Amino acid sequence: MFASSPTPARPPLPAALAERVRPVATASSRLLPLAPALLPLFGGAGLQRGTTTCIAGPVGVGARTLALTMLSAASAAGHWCGVVGLADPGVSAMVELGLDLRRVVFVPSPGGRWSEAAAELFDGADLVLIRPAGPVAHGVARLLVSRARERRAALVVLTTDPARWPLGPERCLVVRSSSWVGVDRGHGHLAARRAEVEVLGRRGASRRERHQLWLPARAGQVLDAAG
Amino acid sequence: MAIRCPGLLAEGDRGDEVRAFLLVLRAAEQLCPWVTPARLGVCTLPARGPSRLLGGEPAVVDALAAEIASACPEVEVQIGVAPGLFGAQLAARVAAVVGDAELADFLAPWSIAVLGRAELATTLPRLGVRTLGELAALPARQVYERFGADALSCHRAASGQVGELPGLRDLAISARLATVAGVSRPSVLQPDFYGGADAAGERAAAAVTRLQGRFGPEAVAIARHRGARDPAARGRLVPFGSEEPLGEPGSGPWPGRLPAPSPTSVLERPRPAAVADVVGRPLAVGAEGLLDGVPDRCAVDGGPWRSVEEWGGPWPVLEHFWSTPRRRARLQLVLEGGVAILVCFEQGNWVLEAVYD
Repeated sequence: MFASSPTPARPPLPAALAERVRPVATASSRLLPLAPALLPLFGGAGLQRGTTTCIAGPVGVGARTLALTMLSAASAAGHWCGVVGLADPGVSAMVELGLDLRRVVFVPSPGGRWSEAAAELFDGADLVLIRPAGPVAHGVARLLVSRARERRAALVVLTTDPARWPLGPERCLVVRSSSWVGVDRGHGHLAARRAEVEVLGRRGASRRERHQLWLPARAGQVLDAAG
Repeated sequence: MAIRCPGLLAEGDRGDEVRAFLLVLRAAEQLCPWVTPARLGVCTLPARGPSRLLGGEPAVVDALAAEIASACPEVEVQIGVAPGLFGAQLAARVAAVVGDAELADFLAPWSIAVLGRAELATTLPRLGVRTLGELAALPARQVYERFGADALSCHRAASGQVGELPGLRDLAISARLATVAGVSRPSVLQPDFYGGADAAGERAAAAVTRLQGRFGPEAVAIARHRGARDPAARGRLVPFGSEEPLGEPGSGPWPGRLPAPSPTSVLERPRPAAVADVVGRPLAVGAEGLLDGVPDRCAVDGGPWRSVEEWGGPWPVLEHFWSTPRRRARLQLVLEGGVAILVCFEQGNWVLEAVYD
């Protein structure tokens, strides 16, 4: 379809295999699946279509890991995902986090037209992760939120500061602190990062929910670290 | 080094050429695993490693020719060595071994027809320019102003400044070969992969097409994890709908030498960094792979110093025995605030390669 030379015809998959790989996503479900470790941060349910989730934290403490994890269960279940404005994504890391990269479309460097790219992706993807380069104008945010609602897609905003998103998202996850296990002073290696994630309600008020997560754990996936 | 099969450059009806080319590639791989198909009938491989082992490029050429002849005796094969695919293809036609310094002189006498540009091939001779050397002798600016950007690419290739020329490569050849070889390519998007209409996939594909229309074909990408050849090989983003050749293994088997978890931010262009001890003396990794001091602070891109709280490594980066020797070592640093990064040391310089964001 988009390749420069004709696509070779593929033989059909054997029936048993076809059944296993057919995506199980349904367009009618109100919720998109989430990695089990994230469910407690979303009230035990999945990710509601049409909502906006903000993920915030300074660079290098795990916010990107958390944001990418939002795509893992959805992409694995057959939902298409879009990622806008996230340059240099770590492919091995995404594989470790459980993303099905066959269904993730990237627009890494949209420049000033990032919101246009995001709006377009709502037509093709059920979950769109955006990483705005700076504060987002009110009108732009409103447009994206209403487009997401209209298209029944979930919007995830990755930012260093929740104040950069001018509208109250349905949920805001803030990576408050993190520490690595495994490294010392010259010994060992970065094995796992334990992070504290705070869930903010609307208008930034704390719900007084603080969750402990491995962001990531030893094999590179995100796990619950409670207890 | 390029291997050129004159009888396989055009495809007939029955796909025999692709199958024969696959046999040639497999034979070449016996000598060097890093064979890369450039288009049907042409492939490249790095010459330096095998030539160090076998004692010079002519020896490699002979060994390759022998290997291919025994695997597919009916295929006519030409082998040549020159820097860059453009030169190497031509070198193959005349079985030449062309060093870096000799490239411009080697290219000069060839007809401008080898550029594969019909319009230039008609217009340039009328101006007295018939060979690559005569084209290279024209001022680049004039070529650009008179004939445009593509002609400038031709000028650069003709003068030996650039080893590639648009149109030389067929990006889809790897996918064709994989199909014929019956190898599955999990990272390539095929809208009909599930053997039937996938409504979600079609919607996504339509959105991508619109995006590409508005932002350009390179703007939309999909991630490619090179799991096939090296389980820990670096992944990258490739333009949606293209299939890139595997290419030279420049960055080595990374992050395989580092255990999981992998960093979520891997810089396409590593940034210069500085790592110093408590008195500000720059640190280095010695020949035996050890740090010559204790890391105390780190700065990236001329930015402020940040103190190092913890570190792990260094881990020497192991290159394949046939590639040009590069001594590199990686270090994981945890900076104040818990920011974890990966830096790499080579020949006195540190660069920031990745962030565990």
